[in-house]
This record gives sequence, structure tokens and C-alpha cells, in this order.
Amino acid sequence: MVRFKHRYLLCEVVSDDPRCRLSLEDRALGGLIRDTIARVHGTFGAASCSIGFAVRYLNAYTGIVLLRCRKEFYQLVCSALPFITYLENKGHRYPCFLNTLHVGGTIRTCQKFLIRYNRRQLLILLQNCTDEGEREAIQKSVTKSCLLEERSDEEELSDSGGEEAAEAME
Amino acid sequence: MRKMWSALDKMPAPATTYERIVYRNPSEHHYMKVCLEFEDHGVGLNVAQFKQLLISALKDLFGEVAAALPLDVLTYEEKTLSAILRICSSGLVKLWSSLTLLGSYKGKKCAFRVIQVSPFLLALSGNSRELVLD
Repeated sequence: MVRFKHRYLLCEVVSDDPRCRLSLEDRALGGLIRDTIARVHGTFGAASCSIGFAVRYLNAYTGIVLLRCRKEFYQLVCSALPFITYLENKGHRYPCFLNTLHVGGTIRTCQKFLIRYNRRQLLILLQNCTDEGEREAIQKSVTKSCLLEERSDEEELSDSGGEEAAEAME
Repeated sequence: MRKMWSALDKMPAPATTYERIVYRNPSEHHYMKVCLEFEDHGVGLNVAQFKQLLISALKDLFGEVAAALPLDVLTYEEKTLSAILRICSSGLVKLWSSLTLLGSYKGKKCAFRVIQVSPFLLALSGNSRELVLD
């Protein structure tokens, strides 16, 4: 009953440039978000948001970022994310924007949402696919994820959620 | 006769509807009478520099979002460096706290004295603190 409550923001880095996602780094991104909050919300915003702030998960291949912040100030962080317009890495600037997918109270809820979201994205990719080889590869991963989904429904009582989540996210 | 009574029974009674409107603060703006004091006298500001000082104080403490608040300088006296400001009620706390924490202008020490705050402009015309009782 007496604990610090957090909010976990699940965001996706969207960019035209394919090199932008590969240059994602948790410390650089964390620093960029802190600077943006300081610019948009001033000294008050920077101080209040940076206490519980951390970049918890980063996937350079899909561009998914999981940020953590205190529950009392998560709206300041949320409102500062649209002001991020570029990512800087080794002197190169890549224009991009952060799309907030989900706000959750725990990492587990964000993980569950991410699994469902990735499954839906696989189906959308399958529809928009042009190359035959790509189509086969995506169909294989869709069937694999469906099998994993069936298996997870059967084994609901046992706590194997972490493993299949890791497999499904790959 | 009996038919009429049964028809009246079947009609639903008209529901009494009433609406309760509570006005916590009917005014959407707050008015502040402030005075700027410098440590050493002889510093003058015109009204544009004064407003720039206010906006930069808001920007320091609360960022771009607060610097964009609709703030108006209604009157300004250059000799006494006093002014009447108008701000929307949601931004009053931000403005007052950033005025409190403002320390200097172009390297010279200064302080804001807040004389009166009111949601009604008419209230600023009379200040009982400045009453002189003979």
C-alpha cells in the first residue's frame, strides 16, 4: 500500500530513414527525452519527471521503446513526447517521431499489449507484402505465433508467459 | 367515469426535473497588481521589456507551455515599475510562483512584490492596506 507507483509508456519510433532505428541507444534516447521535457516544461518539469524516469526496454529492430515515469507526472512526459522531432547519433540527425502505443501500470500489462500488437502487425505486413520470399517468411512467423497463442491458452495456469512472450517478440 | 380514472392511473406522473449549477469561480481570469523592485535604483524598463521579463520567468520555471499562456499587461507605470497583469485562472499558480523565484534582470538583482490578487478587476481599484486613517 505504500510504494511508488509508476506508469510505463510503450512508444514506437517512426521514421522514414531505415538507419534511424538501428542507431537507437537507451542512454542517448533517455538524455534526449530529459532535454525535451526540460525545454517544454521547464525546471519544474525536468526535476519532477527525472526522478523515476528510466528507459526500461529498447528494441532497435522494431523501434519499440518502454519508458517508465512516476504516476503523478506521467502526463508531463506524455505531453512532451510529440516535441521530439529528431534523433542524433554520431553527428547524424535522423528526423523521426515517437508514437505512443500504450500506457500501462506495470511492465506485464505493456508486455501483453505488445504481444497482441505484434501479432496484428504481422498480419498487416502479410497483407502489404510484395515479395514472394518475404511472404513465406511472414506466413511462417504468423503460424508460429498462432501455435504459441494456442499453447499459452492451454497452459494459462502455469507461469510460462515470459518465455513465449520473448519468442513472440522476436 | 371509471374509464377516465383508469386512464389517469396508466399515465406516468410528470417527473420533476431540476438542474443544479454550481459556480465555484465564475471569473476565468485573475488580475494581479505587482511592483518590480531593484536592489539599486536607476534601472528603467519599458513595457515591452517588462513583458519579456515576465515571459522569460515563466519559461525558466515551467517551460514553453507556460510561456505560451495568455498573459496580458493591462497597465504599466514606468516610474514606479508597477503593473496590473491578467492571466487565465488555471495559470495563476504558475505565474505567481515564477514571479516569486525570479531573481535578476540582466545581471541586476530584483524582486517582484505582489500587492493584490483578485478574480475581479474592480477589486484592484481599492486597497484597504493603503488606507490612511486620519
